[in-house]
Amino acid sequence: MTPVLIVALLTGAILFGVGLYGALSQTNLVMIMMGVELILAGALVNLVAFWRFLHPENYAGQMFVLVVMTVMAVEMAVGFGIAIARFRAKGSVEMEEAGDLKG
Amino acid sequence: MSLQAFFVAVFGLAAIGFGVAVFRTASMVRSALALLFSQAAIGCMFLAMQSEFLGVLQIMMMATEMSIMAIFMVMFMMDPGGLGGMDMSHQKRFSIGAGVIAAGAAFAVALMSDWGPVTAEAPDAAMQTRELGIEMLGRSMLIFETAAVTILTAMIAATAVAIPVREPARNDDKNENDKEASR
Repeated sequence: MTPVLIVALLTGAILFGVGLYGALSQTNLVMIMMGVELILAGALVNLVAFWRFLHPENYAGQMFVLVVMTVMAVEMAVGFGIAIARFRAKGSVEMEEAGDLKG
Repeated sequence: MSLQAFFVAVFGLAAIGFGVAVFRTASMVRSALALLFSQAAIGCMFLAMQSEFLGVLQIMMMATEMSIMAIFMVMFMMDPGGLGGMDMSHQKRFSIGAGVIAAGAAFAVALMSDWGPVTAEAPDAAMQTRELGIEMLGRSMLIFETAAVTILTAMIAATAVAIPVREPARNDDKNENDKEASR
């Protein structure tokens, strides 16, 4: 067991926890998106560590990292689109006032 | 402790520190900048783990993304400078509990799993870039194309959602305009 792999995995775990706290505790849509970004960043750290220390010969691991980066970009684009629409309609992106978005 | 472990730990601590700062500062611009530094530290972690292409990509992508996020924060927040001391959080105890449980579970999995043999040497940067290119345009072509189409769809959908709805012109206004045009 290499200490570098464990250090990277523990970093990813803490980033995931901090991001989850942010996504659940914030009331503003942009701040919630920041929490989700941190969650995905934690996943990225784990994926790169797994690729580097367990299977550096298999580049599907790096491909997986690119897919997660795509998810981050898509989340930002859609989130900001919703934020703009919400701000135009209600003048605020506070999620406590957005009960009408429930299905 | 090896030099690589040292740098991974230092950049990891920086990423965590800035990640925590995102939710602790009252200023929204500082939050966005803290997230930018956190993501840049993660990019540096990738570089320390000899994953050069992904490290540079992470730093470049996140620098752009977080700069845009800072602009949106200033646009949309009621108190972007945090001068009013507004508390914009709720269900704190539940959120802390959920974060601690999730991080603890991930900790347990990381420490208790048998990860098997670890590879000491990674391919060099040029080899990595070449092999990743072959992977993207070979075996993972469908995934790569799907990711590209997903981003394009998200861009079009986000633009469509953000465009304001045009209200139809009233008939009275239209008739008046026609009369003015006929004069």
